[in-house]
Amino acid sequence: MESTARGLPKLTDSPCRGTSCNRCAEICPTNAINVFGSGDTTKVALDLGSCIGCSLCIDNCPTETIRENRSTELAVRRREHLLLINDHAVEKEFSKEEESPKTNPFGMSLSARVVSTGCSACDLEIGAAGNPIFDMERFGVRVVASPRHADALLVTGPVGKGMQMPLKRCYEAMTEPKSVVAVGTCAISGGVHKGSYTEANGVDSVLPVDVYIPGCPPHPWSIIDGVLKAMGKKR
Amino acid sequence: MIPLVKEVSEDNLVSSIKDWLAGGQLRRLTFVTSLDGKQLAVLLLDPLSGAAELWFTPLKGNSYKSLTLSFASCHWFERAVWDMFGLEPIGHPRLKHLLLHESYEANYYPLRANDLLCQATENDRCYKFLEVKGEGVYEIPVGPIHAGIIEPGHFRFSCFGENILNLEIRLGYLHRGIEKKLTEVDWKKARFVAEAAASDTAVANALAHAIAVESICEIDVPPLADALRTIALELERLSMHIIDVGGMAADIGFLGVSSSMSRLRGKSLEIAQALSGNRFMRGFVTPGGVSLYRAEEIGGIRANLKELANELKPVLNLFRENQTAIERMASIGVISKALVEDFGIVGVAARATDVAYDTRQYFRQGLYPEFAPNVTVADSGDILARTLVRMGEIDTSIKVIDRVLDSLDGNSCSVELPKKLRADMVGLGVVEAFRGELIHLMCTDSSGKIKRYAIKDPSQNNWTALSIAIRNNLIADFPLCNKSFSLSYGGNDL
Ligand code: SF4
Ligand code: SF4
Repeated sequence: MESTARGLPKLTDSPCRGTSCNRCAEICPTNAINVFGSGDTTKVALDLGSCIGCSLCIDNCPTETIRENRSTELAVRRREHLLLINDHAVEKEFSKEEESPKTNPFGMSLSARVVSTGCSACDLEIGAAGNPIFDMERFGVRVVASPRHADALLVTGPVGKGMQMPLKRCYEAMTEPKSVVAVGTCAISGGVHKGSYTEANGVDSVLPVDVYIPGCPPHPWSIIDGVLKAMGKKR
Repeated sequence: MIPLVKEVSEDNLVSSIKDWLAGGQLRRLTFVTSLDGKQLAVLLLDPLSGAAELWFTPLKGNSYKSLTLSFASCHWFERAVWDMFGLEPIGHPRLKHLLLHESYEANYYPLRANDLLCQATENDRCYKFLEVKGEGVYEIPVGPIHAGIIEPGHFRFSCFGENILNLEIRLGYLHRGIEKKLTEVDWKKARFVAEAAASDTAVANALAHAIAVESICEIDVPPLADALRTIALELERLSMHIIDVGGMAADIGFLGVSSSMSRLRGKSLEIAQALSGNRFMRGFVTPGGVSLYRAEEIGGIRANLKELANELKPVLNLFRENQTAIERMASIGVISKALVEDFGIVGVAARATDVAYDTRQYFRQGLYPEFAPNVTVADSGDILARTLVRMGEIDTSIKVIDRVLDSLDGNSCSVELPKKLRADMVGLGVVEAFRGELIHLMCTDSSGKIKRYAIKDPSQNNWTALSIAIRNNLIADFPLCNKSFSLSYGGNDL
């Protein structure tokens, strides 16, 4: 990502001192942060799948435990891999169960169907991923107009009640093999809409998800990274 | 802005509104809503004096005489009030659900504080499209999932041959419960929810929210913050107008122009990112000011803006002067000035019929009205006029940003907010988003918590204009006509 972008947060090894400081958890608009333990063993857990990248935790962290992360290679195959903890032991455990490399049923190219259930910024960024600047098509990715033509379903937004049925129908209309990519924080967890009466808690609650791309909205590079992971071109 | 709050009895409501509207030029009835289901609330704007009035009308039951019968512009809002509060507008000519579909329980009203005052007539939320009958008339259903990468909505066309006789637009698929959520979160975190109402309009939404909060807290932001907000608001308009004009070119098949425009939009997003750290300027405008000021980026921003302006010019001229493109857009999707006035149409669509309504001229937002550019208008009311207005506004936005960049002064870009919001207050933010008049209205309860938050997106006024504009046009004209209105689904569905 460009140096002017603020990006999403990452956790560093720098210890989070004492229990008195709970600032990041208090300030986070989506409750993505949890500070637990006490004294020297205080740990921070950060769920990138709930994070909307507001940077407040970064700006307010006195110990530099939380820092900016300008990487756009953020997509993962397993929801729990978006849960960051600044604890070496836990990190190791995560790296042990590597992201399961999926055999790539789609060959060198992928036709994607996009379904929006969100605020439109994620959709615009998917559109931007296809523009002459980022040019997703050079990786063999094409956006198609019908689920019948699609290998992958890219879903944006939190999937409130109004879109649950249409989304399921769209998925059912696709032929096997098919995969689902949740694009953006809303699609992963509901984001700022989580827990509302509209049951807008993310794609997971309606369809099985194969790849999660965090960000609100994710940067076009992140989207390309996620789609390549769905294709098995990247681990 | 703090609106003047007043109580008006149900019997006098219509006549009082009529009198009030007749009492001055340009006065507008903007929208109808309720606080908790016990009353109607009507927001009136008087642009010339820059003032607003919020009228409350206590209701005795679950129904009232539809205001739509006297003010056509209320029809959409009364449907939303019915869904969210269970208040039925008696006599409404086309009462249908807008936001809550069949998947919601019958008689469930998310924004109602108490149970219905009396048993409602059974409300199964079923939706019936208008049926156009006659030999040879057929229907085309489109959506909610569209062929391209856009938000969901359903269009039902009734056609005769290639002609569209009627278009009914059903929305609500994107309903995410934003207004309710805004009353549930801590008010200091509310801005993130307000911004996500429609994030292509993140700056305008954040700004309207900030102005509403600041009015309740009675704080002024530093001049630098106002300047940066103005730049952000115009950058958002610039990026979105660029993508919309590029989209028009794409739909006409003028692919050179459309590719250039999408590349140039990338440039404007880079400028936005240099200003705010984010391509959509999410989280930039906050109550109290703006979240960051990077003085070191200003030189680069100025240079990039200049470059962008230079590169835009030939591309826009190519489009503007292409006879095929002009003929494709002229005389199609026409709306009349009378329709704009009756239905309260706002933004580009209104200005394309020579209605020069632009809230930047009248209401405080960033450095406006002082820095407000001349209003760009056109008069043919068709697709071409809307496109020309957008192109004109691309020019004025660049000029405004340039001017404001020259007047940046100081380095404090925000002020501290109080710990609590004042109790029992009403705050209002009116902002000219790139789609038109955007309003955030917030009311606090006796302990200073947000008890009602209402958002009026410009699209809520304008969806009707689209369905009327396309009548008696060809099916093949619809995509182009739709793009020329460029309406928000998320902002409507909330
Ligand atoms: S950047 Fe993410 S984790 Fe940090 S405060 Fe904002 S939303 Fe929470
Ligand atoms: S993740 Fe963010 S940008 Fe994407 S739909 Fe949700 S609120 Fe909008």
